[in-house]
Amino acid sequence: MQPRKVLVVDDSKLMRKMYEVMLRQYPLVYAADGREALDRLREHADIDLILLDINMPNMTGLEFLAEMRADPGNAQTKVVIISTEGREEDTARGLEAGADAYISKPFRTEQILEVISRLADSAPAETSEIPA
Amino acid sequence: MSEIDALAGHRPDLQIDLVEQLRTTVERANDLLRALEGSFAAQEPMVPKPAERIRELEHRLSTTDSDVKELASRLVESEHQSGRLMSLYVATYQLHATLSPPEVQATIAEIAIDLLGAQQFVLLLRREEGDDCEIALRQGLGPGGQAPFAGDSYLGGDPMIDATLQDGLLRLGPTEDSPALAAVPLRVQHEIVGAIVLLKLLDHKPILRPEDRDLLDLLSAHAASALFAARLFAAKDRKLRTLESLVKLARGA
Repeated sequence: MQPRKVLVVDDSKLMRKMYEVMLRQYPLVYAADGREALDRLREHADIDLILLDINMPNMTGLEFLAEMRADPGNAQTKVVIISTEGREEDTARGLEAGADAYISKPFRTEQILEVISRLADSAPAETSEIPA
Repeated sequence: MSEIDALAGHRPDLQIDLVEQLRTTVERANDLLRALEGSFAAQEPMVPKPAERIRELEHRLSTTDSDVKELASRLVESEHQSGRLMSLYVATYQLHATLSPPEVQATIAEIAIDLLGAQQFVLLLRREEGDDCEIALRQGLGPGGQAPFAGDSYLGGDPMIDATLQDGLLRLGPTEDSPALAAVPLRVQHEIVGAIVLLKLLDHKPILRPEDRDLLDLLSAHAASALFAARLFAAKDRKLRTLESLVKLARGA
């Protein structure tokens, strides 16, 4: 199941432009830090995937992740951390915090498309209520 | 009693006639049989035997298999190429997207960190007066920097960087006398106005990749012109605002 909407959380204008070009096939919404990202999540109920930077002003990626995962309504939303911090312990920390995948910058386009496709395949099928 | 006797009774003339007809019929049957055999013999090479057919199909399969592999490798290659072009497009677009000097510098830093994977780098700009370079941007070197990039100016001292500032050639290191990984000349038209010096890459990016060379060339061609255009605009804008304030003051007085 392809994501209906992708939230890009990155304070870098360059990276936001890069995602815009790279992920033309997906509807994107943007946030420049964790606080803005929480607002976008409240505004757009159809966000299925979040591409999350770690080092951002106001609220870091990990702080945002902790807060969004505390809301059970976001349990199905997939999160991919995309960060310059690429050591193994950084990856482990991100996955423990509730991310579904971790990509180190700089990355290649096909890397990110492959991860999105893998997460889309692993997403549970939409369930429909059976009428009483 | 033979069948001929049964058909012709005891009339010898009829018997001879019947025998003759029988002989003609047998000869025609033999002719037909030979014609059929000839026809089969002509068709036989067109219908391959099972073993030959299997060999032919195996050959076709292996050709198709190698075609698929070649197409897959071409697809990967074109995906890489498309990724490289995307990076170049976005970097160029973003460098020229603003006329604010701090934003242009931030973009140069983002290109170095997010697209090239640089952990430590400096941006050097030649001062209008004097031989030294202003350290316009310093990343990952700590608050005071480290020699020869401590303070506000680069006074020379790294042979690779000095050579690049002199002749405008992009150099890759490290070399025996320089720890720098790359010294990228910055040009405005044909003049060398500074350099970007990459000193260390992120831990998970051990070396500069071939496609990084395109980005270094792009920085060489566009970073300085974008920064100088922004600085020029900022200076003119400041002058304009000052003049506007003076005009307002003069009108008020």
